[in-house]
Amino acid sequence: MSNDPAAPTRILLVDDEPSLREPLADYLTRQGFAVSPAASAAEARSLLLKFTPDLVLLDIMMPGEDGLSLCRHLSEAKDLPVILLTAKGEATDRIVGLEIGADDYVVKPFEPRELVARIKSVLRRAARGTVAPQEDAHYEFEGWRLDPVKRRLTDPEGAVIAISSAEFRLLIAFLDHPRQVMDRDRLLDMVQGREAHLFDRAVDNQVSRLRRKIESAMREPRLIQTVRGGGYVLAADVRRVSDSGERA
Amino acid sequence: MTFRLWPKSLLGQMLLAVAVALLVAQTISAVLLVLAQEQRREMGAANGLVFQLVAEPRLDYRDREGRGSKDRPRQHWQRYRIERTAVYPLMPGEKEDAKRKELVRSILADQGIEPVKLVVTHRKIANDSYVMTQREPKDRTGAWAPRNEVIVAGMLRKGESQWTVARVPLGGPDPQTLGGIIGQTLLLYVVLVGGLALLLRRITRPLRALTMRMERFTRTRETGTQLEPSGPEDTRRLITAHNEMQARIAALLDEKDVMLGAIGHDLKTPLAALRVRIESVEDDREREKMAATIEDITRTLDDILSLARVGRPSDTPESTELSALTATVVEEFEDMGDDVLLGETSRIVLKVRATWLRRALRNLVANALRYAGGRARVSLHSLNGAAAFRVEDDGPGIPDDEIDAMLQPFRRGEGSRNRETGGAGLGLTLARAIAEQHGGSLVIANRLRPDGSIAGLVAELRIPLD
Repeated sequence: MSNDPAAPTRILLVDDEPSLREPLADYLTRQGFAVSPAASAAEARSLLLKFTPDLVLLDIMMPGEDGLSLCRHLSEAKDLPVILLTAKGEATDRIVGLEIGADDYVVKPFEPRELVARIKSVLRRAARGTVAPQEDAHYEFEGWRLDPVKRRLTDPEGAVIAISSAEFRLLIAFLDHPRQVMDRDRLLDMVQGREAHLFDRAVDNQVSRLRRKIESAMREPRLIQTVRGGGYVLAADVRRVSDSGERA
Repeated sequence: MTFRLWPKSLLGQMLLAVAVALLVAQTISAVLLVLAQEQRREMGAANGLVFQLVAEPRLDYRDREGRGSKDRPRQHWQRYRIERTAVYPLMPGEKEDAKRKELVRSILADQGIEPVKLVVTHRKIANDSYVMTQREPKDRTGAWAPRNEVIVAGMLRKGESQWTVARVPLGGPDPQTLGGIIGQTLLLYVVLVGGLALLLRRITRPLRALTMRMERFTRTRETGTQLEPSGPEDTRRLITAHNEMQARIAALLDEKDVMLGAIGHDLKTPLAALRVRIESVEDDREREKMAATIEDITRTLDDILSLARVGRPSDTPESTELSALTATVVEEFEDMGDDVLLGETSRIVLKVRATWLRRALRNLVANALRYAGGRARVSLHSLNGAAAFRVEDDGPGIPDDEIDAMLQPFRRGEGSRNRETGGAGLGLTLARAIAEQHGGSLVIANRLRPDGSIAGLVAELRIPLD
């Protein structure tokens, strides 16, 4: 993100379809972004030589070099935040996109406002510096395992436990701050991200849902404990394990 | 009632048929052989008797009293056989053998002898005092032994006062004959059945390979390499024809996938463009309606694409905790402000394709909400070896005869044909396809009150626990 708060955020929009590229560029411009459209990966590469955008919106299916290939280049060589646009909504595509370094993934047709919310969320995370490098390391606690890229939570017996994205974010917040008391405001701040509807969801509700999935006895929560007057605390040690080896 | 040992395979059934046919044929031939032997034996015995009777045994004979001598050297074996006696040859209580008597009489007649009296009977050697006292011990065993019986023929000639009595042993069936037949049968079995088995294997092995191939293709739609034609000409042609058909089906399926992918992409991009463009519509209500319409189209498109893809899922099953999955789906609806209640759930871990299963469950809940006054209850039980997701509503239900039709694509419950409700009626079809993809089923039934009236609809998605 530009250091000058007055300067608009610069977005590179790469999509081969003019019928989408043009109105989307117009819309994002109206939302206050500075948009540079590109019709192909090649055009995007030549534009990247002239300036460095704050974020890249990238269509996956394009003739010539496709979006995934460009995405790999962008996240490896330039370390730029990337949001993928795609017509396919399958989970495997999403995972592939996230694994090669995309920061987020939007399925067409998307709600423009949601896209804007996600752009802001990705930029916020990029500014905080919480993107990429450690993202692929797994979390381990009390025999549980969370793969942050695939958003895959497995219990001590190895069974997959389905969680919503809000619960995923909440769990990440806890796992990043184990044994720390997290008050509601802080949790809300950390959890509210891409989904607009989460802004007015009570944190308590999400915590209770998360407990339903990871606590063996709902009446006596052991992992996520309530702190009187304060908030919640994850009463477990967390290790981060990546495929290449263990990290602190 | 099925016989357990009844073979099911072509090879087994053909071998069994051949073996049974062979057994029947061999049995018939054995019976005929035994009968012929029996007849030959009877003939031989009768001839033997007649030969003794008509031979001139006058020089040497031994009478019943057994005088005579073991010290005197035997001049002729014949003399020991013939008994001359005044006693009626039939012992008290014995009956004549009518058939043998006729045979003996006819042979005698051929020799020009017309006896005044003729009796033929058989008796145990042990009961025959002549054999027991006058004959050498070996005649009580050996060739005489098989049945321990003798045929006795007595003849009274014209002008004679004494009976001429002859004896031959009653032969038994020749054990060698029977052994021969059994041996022959076994040999035939080995040669014929063995040879046939080899031939049949040549036919059935390619058939089995073909069957396995087809089963795998049905299950996974995996084409892999083509099956090499082998076996007899007929089988080869079948395999070749199958290869061609499989290639054609695979090509059609690929074509369908490519086409659906193209439809997805080609329709979703303009839809996305449209969705962006309507943001510039000033009227909020108008814009909301447009957005809702685009969402409807998107949902239908997704259902169509999913239905086309469900037989060929790209993600592999993972062991998943189903109650968490159920809760997550219910929570999604809660977040949208829908009145969905999570009922009882039990912890069940099962290998499933979670994304698909979630979609099926979501469709069932959406269907319940859409047609039944916006209220649904979801629960999960372990029932009869299956995980059963139940989605209940309090709606009007469906007439029993329309339940099957509900599962057909593009069908909707009666009274909900207004476009406002959205959805093309693919929801249940897709849910059922997903259930079947997991080897399970989707059962839809009316929920009845105790008085028999309909309390609502219950959709149960069952997935077998391995």
